[in-house]
Amino acid sequence: MTKKAASKSSISKNSTAEYFAKNLQQVGFSSPSKAVLTTLKEAVDNSLDACEEHGILPEILIKIKKTGKGTLKNTDRLLISVEDNGPGLKVDEVPMVFGEYLASSKFGKGRCSRGQQGIGISAATTWAVQTSATGAMVLTKTKGASKALSCLVVNDLKKNKGLLKDKKLLAWEKPHGTRVEFLIDGRMQLNGEGGVLAYLRGNLLLNPHLSLTYELPEMEPVTIERVSKDMPQIPEASLPHPHTMKLGEFISHARLFGSKKFGEWLKTGFSRVTDAELLRLIEIGKASQSLLAKSVSSLGTEEFEAVFSGIQEIELKQPSTQSVMSIGEDALSLSIQRLGEINLFAVVSRKPAICDFKPVQVEVAVARQAQSAQDADEPVSVLRFANRVPLQFDKAACAIVKAITTINWKAYGLKQSRSLLPNGPYIIAVSVISPFIKFKNASKETIDASDELVEEIRKALQQAGQKIAKFLRKELKARELETKTQHIEKFGPILVASLCRIVEASEERKASASEGLNKLLRSESKNAEKELSLVEEKLEEHILKQKKNLRFFSDEDKEIEQRRIKEEEKVEVSL
Amino acid sequence: MVRYALRDQNEIPSLSIELCDKILRDLERSKRPLLKATKCSLDNAVYSAGLGYLTAGSKKVSTELNVSSVKKMSRAIFMLEILLRNIKSGGVNTKRELYYICKGLLRQNKELKPLDFDEQAESDSIIDFLCEILEVYREELNCFANDRGGQTYSQHLVVTETLSSGEEAVIDLSKLGTSPFMPKNRPQNLTLSMTKNIEFCLVVESEGTANTLVANGITKRYPCIIVGAQGVPSNAVRGWVKRIQDQLSVPIFFFGDLDAYTLQNIFRTLKAGSAASLIRNKDFSAPDVKFLGVLPEDIKKYSLFSYDVKESDAVEYRSLKKAKDALENDPFFQSKRNKGLAKILEWLISEKKRCEQQSFFSIDGRDPLIFEKIIVEKIRSGSFI
Repeated sequence: MTKKAASKSSISKNSTAEYFAKNLQQVGFSSPSKAVLTTLKEAVDNSLDACEEHGILPEILIKIKKTGKGTLKNTDRLLISVEDNGPGLKVDEVPMVFGEYLASSKFGKGRCSRGQQGIGISAATTWAVQTSATGAMVLTKTKGASKALSCLVVNDLKKNKGLLKDKKLLAWEKPHGTRVEFLIDGRMQLNGEGGVLAYLRGNLLLNPHLSLTYELPEMEPVTIERVSKDMPQIPEASLPHPHTMKLGEFISHARLFGSKKFGEWLKTGFSRVTDAELLRLIEIGKASQSLLAKSVSSLGTEEFEAVFSGIQEIELKQPSTQSVMSIGEDALSLSIQRLGEINLFAVVSRKPAICDFKPVQVEVAVARQAQSAQDADEPVSVLRFANRVPLQFDKAACAIVKAITTINWKAYGLKQSRSLLPNGPYIIAVSVISPFIKFKNASKETIDASDELVEEIRKALQQAGQKIAKFLRKELKARELETKTQHIEKFGPILVASLCRIVEASEERKASASEGLNKLLRSESKNAEKELSLVEEKLEEHILKQKKNLRFFSDEDKEIEQRRIKEEEKVEVSL
Repeated sequence: MVRYALRDQNEIPSLSIELCDKILRDLERSKRPLLKATKCSLDNAVYSAGLGYLTAGSKKVSTELNVSSVKKMSRAIFMLEILLRNIKSGGVNTKRELYYICKGLLRQNKELKPLDFDEQAESDSIIDFLCEILEVYREELNCFANDRGGQTYSQHLVVTETLSSGEEAVIDLSKLGTSPFMPKNRPQNLTLSMTKNIEFCLVVESEGTANTLVANGITKRYPCIIVGAQGVPSNAVRGWVKRIQDQLSVPIFFFGDLDAYTLQNIFRTLKAGSAASLIRNKDFSAPDVKFLGVLPEDIKKYSLFSYDVKESDAVEYRSLKKAKDALENDPFFQSKRNKGLAKILEWLISEKKRCEQQSFFSIDGRDPLIFEKIIVEKIRSGSFI
């Protein structure tokens, strides 16, 4: 090999930031329209996570403005602004949050949060730097501070650090909060599954406690108030569950505990392991009293393996729900009303379960829209969520879609062609919550379709389907009875007229036959009407019951409820 | 209820008027009209060895006028009007044409709009309903199906057809060259005669194989009639074979695949009629037809290619189930007279094998006449059931 060739092929080292800057398509910036959505999504996720961690009911203001033509082909120059009432950021936190890759407060903590790795928002900054030569324009104020910090954050790709520019202190009427603005090249897609509106709808559904205002191009500003002031419980980082581990992880975990006794380690280093479980291990011959009394540092791989396999065999309580940030059926029921007029819905919140060694909770909402532009033969709208973040792309390979399409929805009264999404003006929303969601790619658009997870989602969907079917059956019965009643009125005269034509009967015969037929069918008609009103009554009762569960249902009631929430908030603030 | 025993097509208008008048009288007296029709299904099929075909048992399907049936009855009387008009004028139609005739008439009259049919299946079922109430053949209501199958070849058969004008048309099959004679759905208008004594009539399941036999010269070498059934025999084929049986008194043989479908759906229908047409099997079955093959013993005798029926395959398993069902529920196979045929079904179940009619061509690939030779050998040696 010549010297020149050798120097050409010499191995160079890139920083993490440089890698991501060259591969932004891997983290959601693969097209101009995806760039807009990803930027918005990362900013909103950060705001929501920050508010929830500090016990603040989130109020978010989103503004997207077209400021001109973009430098990239077929793009606009867009200013995307997301403002929250969160705790605000300290000066030294700002460059880390917006300019540094893999700087996260949540990575591997064993709990659910929207953001995990700390890539997304820094990638948005890089996209702004690359397309408009700006960066993240940040305005932030912490509680008690007299002024807000205004600055521009850019990435130092070589060192994977954020750099602050144009630092200023400004007056800001907000007591605390953060506003981040990105000037980027992108294309605004408003409607459709990958559109901004679908993203916002998804957020509204899964965050009943969120008040959202958005100002989008060519649209009047919209404000949607929160329907619940219950803060989602911030998940605690929990001890690992033995069923969520592999042998290697189990042994590495032991190394952290040095000379602790084996039995003690099992009880204190894991969740759901108590004396009863240790006894069970002894009973099945996978451990002995003497083994459990040994220190973990003295054990060999074989001993670990025996106990590990024993633990996998015995039944343990489900993993702690503490690490799972669920929404709950009540909140989901309230929230679904914010998607438009809904005349039928079912929500299911499954208990946490273990799928692929990880705790997972699946929540499902199935709703029928009262006034939908959607054709009855068009597929339903599917809203997918992972840790409350709407997933909008690559739905075909997603575990959620796989679960929906493998269910026989016909059994629940919906139309469906084999192995496809069901049809009709329905929304099927599925939320998967887990501290360790297995995504198919770094841009977090598709949940890996493992058999266990698909089965868990299917169970939730089936439960929701059963609830929907109950209602649909009642509706069908009502429709059938109505048709019956109409039959008498419609077909009676036709039958008599045809018979009279064939036998060439006189007008008198025709009249007397008509009267006879009416007499015959009238009593049946009465019975059918009686039955119909009974069924309708039941149907109404069912709807009322559902609505009662929602606390409000008419617009008037909704307003009253909104006022009540606001008043309660005021009282709390003044206290 | 009036029992409408029909003797002649000319009676249909008067029977229909009688039926409608009865319904009207019931209505005038505020009495609920009740229409009873023969139940046409296997559970109401009776087979007597003496008659040789399936007839209807005593089960009836009753339709009482009420809110649920008023639509069906209104549609039936509306359709009856159209059919009566056809009978009067001598017009004929297919089911599909009647569907469109109805749709056209209903479009013209807004008051009749509720009767409209969304699909042809709806109007078809109304026509069948009328046939069952009046106990008549669909053809007698001048509603014909496509005359499918039945291509017939012979050098010694003459058919005389009486046309609706009363004139007669004489068709000498030996003068048709390579063209076959195609029977019609109304075999009663045909009279048959032979120019020479015919040795046998062979009905072949596959029309293609029937054509092969003729192209290779079977009708020139043997005084015979060759008919292609084209799968499940249509009314035309069934009525035509019955005519050959009754008028020529020649032995008739059927040759087809060795499987439950061929035995029950094709051969049984040809020989004894079907469950769906219990009221007309008398004129649409030929009880003297023999099953020439493929017989189970032929497989061994001629080293034929046969296939294993895989129970794991849903479609193939259905054929086994069909054989079991036929033995359990079909009175034709339960009759002592057809013990030999039932034994074939039992063989199919126990051996889980099937064999196609064309496998005879595998015996000697160099001899184009091998199929014909074996057929004739089997007939002459009595190798049939």
